[in-house]
Amino acid sequence: MKNLKLTVRETTQRTIINVADVAFGRDFVVIAGPCSIESESQILKTARAVKSAGADMLRGGAFKPRTSPYAFQGLGLRGLKLLAQAGQETGLPIITEVIDPRDVSWVAEFADVLQIGTRNMQNFSLLKEVGQSSRPVLLKRGMHSTLEEWLNCAEYILSEGNPNVILCERGIRTFEKYTRNTLDLSAVPAIKALTHLPIIIDPTHSTGRVHLIGPMSLAAVAAGADGIIVEVHHKPEEALCDADQALTPAIFADIMGRLRPLRSFMDNLPA
Amino acid sequence: MKQNEISSKINKIDRELLVLLQERMGLALRSKKFQETYDDVQSEENVLERVNRMNLDLVKSSFSRQLLKTIIDESKRLQDEDRQLVAFQGEHGAYGEVASRKLVPNGAYIPCLEFIDVFRGVEDGHFDLGVVPVENSLEGAVTQVNDLLTTTALKVIGEVKVVVNHCLLATEATDYREIRVVYSHPQALAQCRDFLMRNKLEPRPYYDTAGAAKMLARENPKAAAAIASALCGELYDLEIIKEGIEDGPSNSTRFLLLSRDASTAKRDKTSIIFAVAHEAGQLYGVLQLFAEANINLTRISSMPLRSDPSNYSFFLDFEGSEEDASVADVLQKMSQMTIALKNLGSYPAYKGEA
Repeated sequence: MKNLKLTVRETTQRTIINVADVAFGRDFVVIAGPCSIESESQILKTARAVKSAGADMLRGGAFKPRTSPYAFQGLGLRGLKLLAQAGQETGLPIITEVIDPRDVSWVAEFADVLQIGTRNMQNFSLLKEVGQSSRPVLLKRGMHSTLEEWLNCAEYILSEGNPNVILCERGIRTFEKYTRNTLDLSAVPAIKALTHLPIIIDPTHSTGRVHLIGPMSLAAVAAGADGIIVEVHHKPEEALCDADQALTPAIFADIMGRLRPLRSFMDNLPA
Repeated sequence: MKQNEISSKINKIDRELLVLLQERMGLALRSKKFQETYDDVQSEENVLERVNRMNLDLVKSSFSRQLLKTIIDESKRLQDEDRQLVAFQGEHGAYGEVASRKLVPNGAYIPCLEFIDVFRGVEDGHFDLGVVPVENSLEGAVTQVNDLLTTTALKVIGEVKVVVNHCLLATEATDYREIRVVYSHPQALAQCRDFLMRNKLEPRPYYDTAGAAKMLARENPKAAAAIASALCGELYDLEIIKEGIEDGPSNSTRFLLLSRDASTAKRDKTSIIFAVAHEAGQLYGVLQLFAEANINLTRISSMPLRSDPSNYSFFLDFEGSEEDASVADVLQKMSQMTIALKNLGSYPAYKGEA
């Protein structure tokens, strides 16, 4: 972990990142929403559902980095405007992925937090661009990356002058085929020991299976994570991408009902 | 030329045709005010005759005759509708037109180059009504308009406040990531300075916000956008890249509706202009009348007299109608205390947002 002057520094002070009313690094922040923004009614219905279940932030993709060039690529600027509208109506701050350095300043005009996806973790020109933005950045771990490689990417953003980086563990590739990826839960305490940055868990992409998302969300709380980011769709069977891993609003509400009590239980455990 | 370049040029020309038609129809409505019986039959024949003399190989004369006939018929239909002609300063889509639409929902909105054209046009009967901005919440009084108010014979019959909501507009063919220059009125550019800097956009001053939008729609310059009202986006078929891009808290402009005849609506607000002699206590004496009559003032503003820069005109707006006994009494007393007193009229106060 050499040369990580800003990411790995001797400090007892954890970085707190304020986004509207929530604070990454202090609260347990729940980000929920669809994989991609598909239509006005889809994003509005989903936003209202996650809001009433107690989510803190709304997610939704406008620019999608899809494995296949023929898969749905997202609505682009129109999607961004719909997401911003849904955020305004529900009062939820919004987060969305940016995949092109030329889009960074425009996405920052609409979104409260910029997301760098797993496939772009080491897209250094993109990292430099978001490093110059005034918006906080959620940096997902590359699916083949070590903690050191990941933290070097955070260093890119910090060194450009943006101190607000939130790390997100979203599963790594292993020999296991049952789950989409393998959730590296140990990354949470490891990152907390190594850096002062907040870290959250993505139980959706790490497992790819609806019935594993609830238990892994609770495990994230127990491991000391600062939050989760989950995919929720008001009608998962109609989703244009990742249909089989999106939660219904009912399942999401059920998980939320257990998440908050577990967090207060954890807070009251003897140190 | 590539296929997509050709189709974008065709789109541009179609848009231009519609913008020109809008202008043509406005002119047809205006011409009605000049003639008692509009002799369209004569001019119609002239126009169609001229078509025969133009020799365009791709536009057959039978087609152009048919097209022009359709346009002339539509313009006659519009003339028969008897819409009120409402003049405003600026191009179509200007904030003056936004105000006009709020004040007179079913009017025909006619753009004028200068404020004086609005005043003279209504005074001479070329327009039915005029809409002019009188003050802005950030910039204060609009001096040209206030100056014209001191000399006009027109009456104020209404008011409205319009929230300035600047939008970044571009043609559909423009990729927002390629925008480099932004055209607009210097004032609008100044109000969006942070936004322009954040996105590394170069401001290019233009004579008018709506004029910049119109230019964009007609010429579609490369890598360019405009800052103007959302109405401009609608009128010129431009895409709103982002709404509300002004840096500061939203500002609003107050517009007055002018007419040759006094308002017949239920009136609860009055505007006057007066001047007093250059003696101690003169202005105080006037204001005291309002205080004693318990009349609330909503605006007080002063402007040097054009004819005598050492003296001032005072613009006063207050609650109440000239028909109210207390107001009439104050105005009566004022006429003896002032060297000039002009009653612009009473009108319904604006009760909406902003």
